[in-house]
Amino acid sequence: MRIDRTHTGWLVASCVLLGAACILYSLARPPASTAPMGGTPLGLGFGIAGFAFMIFAALLGARKKVPVWRLGRAQTWMRGHLWLGLLTLPLILFHADFHSGGPLTTVLLWLLVIVVASGIFGAALQHFMPATMTREVPLETIYEEIDHVRAQLRAEAAEQIARAKTIAVPENPDEEGAAAKAAEPAAPLAAFYEREIRPYLEHAPGRSALADRAQADRAFASVRLLVPTELRNAVDDLENICEEDRQLTRQARLHRWLHAWLLVHVPLSIALILLGAVHAVVALRY
Amino acid sequence: MSATPLIELTIDGRKVAVAPGTTVFDAARVNGIAIPTLCHQQNETPVGVCRMCVVDVGARVFAASCVRPAESGMVVTTSSERVEAARHTLLELLMSDHPSPCARQQHSGDCELETLARAAGIGASRFPRRAPRPQDDSSPAIAVAHDACILCDRCIRGCGDIRNNFVLARMGKGGATDIAFDAAAPMGESTCVSCGECMVSCPTGALTNKFVVGTALGAEHGAVSATTEELLALPVFHNVSGTFLELNKNAVIKRRYRKGEIVCREGDFGSTAFYILEGKVNVSISSPMAHVKTSGGERGFFSRLGSFLIGRASDHRAEDVTRRSIPIDAPVDLDYNHPVAELGPGELFGEMTCMNFYPRSATVRAETDCIVLEMLRNVLDTMRKNKTLRAQLDRTYRQRALEDHLRNVPLFRALDQEFLDRLRERVELSSFAPGQVICRQGEPADSFYLVRLGFVKVSERHAGGELVLAYLSRGDYFGEIGLLGGGARTATCTALDHAEVVRIPGEEFRAMLERFPSVRQGLEAVAQERQQANHERMAVLGSVPLESFLAQGLMEAQSLLVLDLERCTRCDACVNACADAHDGVTRLIREGLRFDKYLIATSCRQCRDPLCMVGCPVGSIRRRNSLEVIIEDWCIGCGLCAQNCPYGNINLHPFTEQAEDPDHPGRKRAVVRKKATSCDLCTNQAEPSCVYACPHDAAHRVEPRQFFSSLLGAPASRDEKGAK
Repeated sequence: MRIDRTHTGWLVASCVLLGAACILYSLARPPASTAPMGGTPLGLGFGIAGFAFMIFAALLGARKKVPVWRLGRAQTWMRGHLWLGLLTLPLILFHADFHSGGPLTTVLLWLLVIVVASGIFGAALQHFMPATMTREVPLETIYEEIDHVRAQLRAEAAEQIARAKTIAVPENPDEEGAAAKAAEPAAPLAAFYEREIRPYLEHAPGRSALADRAQADRAFASVRLLVPTELRNAVDDLENICEEDRQLTRQARLHRWLHAWLLVHVPLSIALILLGAVHAVVALRY
Repeated sequence: MSATPLIELTIDGRKVAVAPGTTVFDAARVNGIAIPTLCHQQNETPVGVCRMCVVDVGARVFAASCVRPAESGMVVTTSSERVEAARHTLLELLMSDHPSPCARQQHSGDCELETLARAAGIGASRFPRRAPRPQDDSSPAIAVAHDACILCDRCIRGCGDIRNNFVLARMGKGGATDIAFDAAAPMGESTCVSCGECMVSCPTGALTNKFVVGTALGAEHGAVSATTEELLALPVFHNVSGTFLELNKNAVIKRRYRKGEIVCREGDFGSTAFYILEGKVNVSISSPMAHVKTSGGERGFFSRLGSFLIGRASDHRAEDVTRRSIPIDAPVDLDYNHPVAELGPGELFGEMTCMNFYPRSATVRAETDCIVLEMLRNVLDTMRKNKTLRAQLDRTYRQRALEDHLRNVPLFRALDQEFLDRLRERVELSSFAPGQVICRQGEPADSFYLVRLGFVKVSERHAGGELVLAYLSRGDYFGEIGLLGGGARTATCTALDHAEVVRIPGEEFRAMLERFPSVRQGLEAVAQERQQANHERMAVLGSVPLESFLAQGLMEAQSLLVLDLERCTRCDACVNACADAHDGVTRLIREGLRFDKYLIATSCRQCRDPLCMVGCPVGSIRRRNSLEVIIEDWCIGCGLCAQNCPYGNINLHPFTEQAEDPDHPGRKRAVVRKKATSCDLCTNQAEPSCVYACPHDAAHRVEPRQFFSSLLGAPASRDEKGAK
């Protein structure tokens, strides 16, 4: 989600809430020699508020499972998730009085820090990455279709080469190497295809020169010099195919960045909620 | 208003009355008096060159009846001794150079010249034969035998007036005159497109087909290949070239259907028309009379959105069409409440499928044992040129469908039966070729039109190009606005395919307005509304640089789903929401053109030029006054609209219903019915589901000109213009 001026209301509200919490904490926190802060009414209040915010943040996942239920706009839920989720950290810290406590609460605190940090990281990714993807991958396709599009590119490249091999080139005796060009005009291109283009498009193991744009430009420029004019279009087409494949590779990488952080954030959030519930029951009952 | 007086004349002692402008030949024909002819063909403008049709009108010289207009009080003798002698000499002269038997006489035995000569008892001619003229075998399809040509000009008129190819003409003078292709090039080297019109027009063997056309209809369903003699004996093939029928023998086939057998099914694609020779058939639509509705989510916390079929009686939508009949590809329309009709001998159905390859609009089942002729387009084209058949088809239309079409026009609902009966006889039925303009924007308005067959495009000209307002199909109407106050046409109407329209002349229309003031009031209100909408539309169009929009086709859209790619995290929440809202059938794909940082998702654009509407066999896809595309209850699920949509934005939504099992009478079985659907902007919700479900504020439904106005450097609206 892009954090922009439309979040002003949420930012202000969060700041106000945080400010109020800070004031309450500084005025009402108990002396160090008394019972843990978490057990006091204020501490409990911070704990309940913090846990409630965690529950709300976690419900975003459930909200996404029922996209057409009229439960409030998904955008509103997402903003709530971001800002209220962020507020959980200071509230829980106030609840714990900045002490880690026993093993369970220590784990909980670390989980909270990691979840919030991963969430901030994810928010930052969602803020910057879409624009990066839009700029760097103009030939973007649907992520799940990348393999299918790649297969189409491979087929197109093979067709291009097959077609290039059938093109007859009129002899120009003044041209250097005319005889060789006339005999097999597509030979250099075909060799380049077999040596570089096909392995690259098939993503064979090993690093390919075509994976890097600058190197690919140089390679194709060399090939252009070796083929007659009639085959330049074929070279251009193959270059475009390789460029599209590079973009798809870039898109896949960016997409993984954009979504991989969820592999950390989501499971740890679930663990945080579950252990938080355990802590609440244990702390209140015992 | 007085009726146009008829002309009274006497033909062969019989008093007849005909409309002004009728030729003596047609006056005789409609009264059952046959006059021989060679150069006259019913579907061509008569030229009177052969003089075979001469008749005695009491003047100094005989008159060629095909071009001589009937006059009041005229006394015509079509067959006196003098007239017969003149014809006899003429035939002798023509036969003197004719290579008898010519190619046509050899192939099918129906050379018109030799037939007339035989009937006149002409054997060997007493006139010397001139030097033979060359053959032209250069064309791969048509053989040219100049020797057999009688210079009747039928081929020239066929090539020019009917087919608009203008390849043939006369060349030379006097006895050296011949027909020529282009500038006297051999036929095979000319611009001839081998359409065959000259060949089917030729009365002799001067132009004959070189090989049997390789078309063949299937031999199933009791097919019996009808012989040329059998076909020529049918009134509908009267005057059709026997050579043509002989060489296209497999393009028309006789089929027998037992009672209960299916002749054709709704939604199937086809390329043939059917003419009923014996028996009756039952025409019906078996798809449920219902449209797709999505609802449920607005009723509560746990309620789920679902898609289901519902009829208009239970769910009236804004601007629902209240037409009572469903237009189909047959001489009748079907009643909405009981979509079944019967056709009998002499009726033709499947013309639109045959001529334009549209899907079958209804299911036809044999009501009794029946015999039909199934034919391909080339045969249908030839049949339709027959005036007798045309008159029969017109009569059937006037009796069975015209009143329904008139009643479907909201303005005509106030008319009484007497006026409708009068209109029925006074309307004119006209045909238009694909691309032919019916009326042009700016021209004086002189007629009101109803669409009888085919599709008509209604478009407006503006600075940036042409804007298509609608595609009209059978039962729709146009031209009423321009008639008010003798105004000018506000749009151009063009036949999109082989279209036939009913024309109500301006004077009849004005008579109706005088007699029914409520009709006039209704018309004026509609005219004002339309002119206001036109004015607003033109003002907006004029304020936006169109080039960039046009390049991406965005100008054609009224509503786009745009995704802001700088916000979109490619999570597909929009697609999932759309699928969830429509029983798993998504109406949007997150893929499409890019304009600046926006992705124009693949979802119904509510196009200004709704190509999806073209060809619907039952006219069930239309647009509201708001220009939103809507699909009516009688959609038969053929999928043509889905194919026509250039953006792939129409889906076929399957529904299961219980229907009679034809193999086990009395039992039911589950059948899958399909109904076309497209994005309806989730009109039952406050906001489209895709927009509602986007967590990143990236998905928006927008009006393109306003949304992109800042990028185009144009003000978003007139209000904003005023504010600045």
